[in-house]
Amino acid sequence: MFPKLDPLLHSELRLALMSILAGVDEADFTYLKKQTGATSGNLSVQIDKLAAANYITVEKAFKGKMPHTTCKITQAGREAFRNYVDALKEYLSIGK
Amino acid sequence: MEEKNQQNEEMTAAKSLALITETLNNSRRDILRNNSKYFVLWGCLLTAMSLTIYLLWHFNGSPKWNFLWFAMPIGYLIAAMMGRHDKDKPQSEIGRILGYIWTVFGVFSVCISAIGVFAVPLHVTLLIVVMLGIAECISGAVLKNWPIIIAGFILGVGGALVAVLVKSEAQLLLFAFGGVLLAATGLTVKFQNK
Repeated sequence: MFPKLDPLLHSELRLALMSILAGVDEADFTYLKKQTGATSGNLSVQIDKLAAANYITVEKAFKGKMPHTTCKITQAGREAFRNYVDALKEYLSIGK
Repeated sequence: MEEKNQQNEEMTAAKSLALITETLNNSRRDILRNNSKYFVLWGCLLTAMSLTIYLLWHFNGSPKWNFLWFAMPIGYLIAAMMGRHDKDKPQSEIGRILGYIWTVFGVFSVCISAIGVFAVPLHVTLLIVVMLGIAECISGAVLKNWPIIIAGFILGVGGALVAVLVKSEAQLLLFAFGGVLLAATGLTVKFQNK
């Protein structure tokens, strides 16, 4: 029986976002954009989806007059990410 | 629409794992590369200060030039100025641990020096060089880098021996060497994570 892969994480950009956020305390929008190479619009949409699932928290503030968005992985997000990686490993071991 | 389709595209398990590994590694490399400049800063500062005091002591014959060591915390100001552009860079666990190690080393060094100069006679060079070696060794362990661990061991243990055998201003050359090792640590971290 194959383990079920979290459909929310089974998308390239969302998975990249979660991978970055899993390794840092928090990261701002500019950094995430640079690391993923995604467009601002696409990145915003995916961040909103992860935030709606409570996988990340999003803090919107201003730096001077510029908007500043910071993302941070939640405990639920960390757990989902770990489960996803475990499921992938299981897939690969079954496939061997 | 095309973008949405791209996002919904099914990935294979192998591709997903490869993506996670690559993203984590890229992020880790980026953060470590950014932290490496502080090793270089402190290494250069330590070497420059050691050699300056050595030369002043050697040519003027006065150990009072050692008071210049208390100007070392200026490095924190320079580091803060260098870090102004890093505020948008995320902090990782490794970066934070390295920061703790070297901050503790700095605080202990200043306190030990102050006690040695103003309170009770201590072998300040011996104590600081051992602490420097320990900090370097632990940094190497955190970075999983054997050359740094070995350099820290040589500096701490070998330095302790040299600190006892060598007298007066020649001990400062030990710190100059320590500074070179510290800067080399920074450069190693930088090039390892290119």
